[in-house]
Amino acid sequence: MIERWALVSGLKGDLDTYELIQKDLKKTPGNISLFVLGDMIGPEKNCNKLLHRLINPKSNDLQPWCIYGWWEEQILLESGYRGDQRAEALRINKGEELVKSLTNAVDKSFLDWIAALQFGFVELDCGLIHGSSKDVGENLTLETAPLTLLDRLTRLQVNRLFTARSKQQFHLELKEGIVNSEVEDLNGNRKKEQKVPQKAVIGIGAGKNYTLYDVGTDNTQFVQAGYKSEKRIKGFGRL
Amino acid sequence: MNQAIISCLHANLPAVEAVLKDIELQGITNITCLGDLVGYGPQPNEVIELIRDKKIPTCQGCWDEDVVDGLDACDCSYPSQLAERRGHFAHQWTTDKLTKENKDYLANLPYSIRKDKCLFVHGSPNSQHEYLLPDMDAFAALERVENARAEILFCGHTHQPYIRELADGSIAVKIKNAVPKDTQEKEIQLPMRRIVNAGSVGEPRHGGTKATYVVHNEVTNEVKIREVEYDIELTCKAIIDSGLPPIFAWRLKNGFEFAEQAEDASHVCER
Ligand SMILES: [Zn+2]
Ligand SMILES: [Zn+2]
Repeated sequence: MIERWALVSGLKGDLDTYELIQKDLKKTPGNISLFVLGDMIGPEKNCNKLLHRLINPKSNDLQPWCIYGWWEEQILLESGYRGDQRAEALRINKGEELVKSLTNAVDKSFLDWIAALQFGFVELDCGLIHGSSKDVGENLTLETAPLTLLDRLTRLQVNRLFTARSKQQFHLELKEGIVNSEVEDLNGNRKKEQKVPQKAVIGIGAGKNYTLYDVGTDNTQFVQAGYKSEKRIKGFGRL
Repeated sequence: MNQAIISCLHANLPAVEAVLKDIELQGITNITCLGDLVGYGPQPNEVIELIRDKKIPTCQGCWDEDVVDGLDACDCSYPSQLAERRGHFAHQWTTDKLTKENKDYLANLPYSIRKDKCLFVHGSPNSQHEYLLPDMDAFAALERVENARAEILFCGHTHQPYIRELADGSIAVKIKNAVPKDTQEKEIQLPMRRIVNAGSVGEPRHGGTKATYVVHNEVTNEVKIREVEYDIELTCKAIIDSGLPPIFAWRLKNGFEFAEQAEDASHVCER
């Protein structure tokens, strides 16, 4: 059976969207693993029902594998899970009101579960993270310099990096990378030509926009929850 | 115009004096120091005062930071627990020895110094604790220089002097799965960049026993590694007399690589 990953992020307490995605995935052929790459919570709506559902899946739900995202990091900071630090950057940029909304949106009983979430998963030669391997808050996009993307791949020692923070959906391949390195030290000179094997960074989207990844063929499909998925091949328009 | 770059003085006064003399003999007045004025060696106050006296611009090294802020090094800094214990002992010894004024001086050192196309840091632009080893991944090395918006990156911290040129780089970028209007495949040329490691004045780890530093010609861009002899016995005696671990003296005398350094060149320090 085809092995597929469903990659979801930015639900921010939206149980309806999560249920739509679960419904979609039931109709999607293949052996599907569901990864939720952070931002399960947010300040906009009460997140308790979604969190409860993620922790206690219904019997016919696909089991979700979750990591923490930027909003989880903010609530952990604010709730004292990161030592003396608090969510100061959020407070300064968005104000006290928003910090309150965030802490009000999540029942304290969920904090230990959130705190136990991992920064990312490494599956096969793929890294699944919220932002980048450098920082949970880092945006990787089509505009990010290729050298930066390569560095973030190298840090996790993976060939593909799935990222959610930018909310964008894209599949960027880096190939035929080459650089000549010449080192001179007290032992003399040495030259080396370094190449990079093909690597990729995939933006998985957020909320209703999620990504299906076909592990065997390395193909991505960008999907909107509730709509029939459509493969975006060159020459076909967006949904 | 030549400039001299020195690093990792490590409280070894005879070595610092010998190197400054060597620089003076070449008529070079423009000197930049990449930090680690203290740690391992027996004369922390003396070395700081000499650098302050000569008004040599200095970045903050990993030891300078740690002595002020408490230990911050990630585990990658030490190859063994024994080495770690020795390191911690030297850290405490140095903290106890330093005058308040000299501690304040270390605390206020800048993280980096920029001069035109040159950037001076202790470890890497990411952290005082990150090792840029000579054979680390070439793309990662290039990323460090490029994201720091420099053409030449001067660093220390590894105690191994080297000059690395990263040239003729390119990479092809393809957007898969794109709708026609943003379907793209393009080749991006990577810039030529250099990393120069100044080695170590006071605690060399290049195999030999001589102090090392580098001279950079700002016009021709030529870089030369300099090796300088100094009175090792004098430093070794001071190490023993001060009660610091005798292995620090043994290491200086033998020049072997039994130093506390990261062994995994691909390790990316998260600090
Ligand atoms: Zn050093
Ligand atoms: Zn150092």
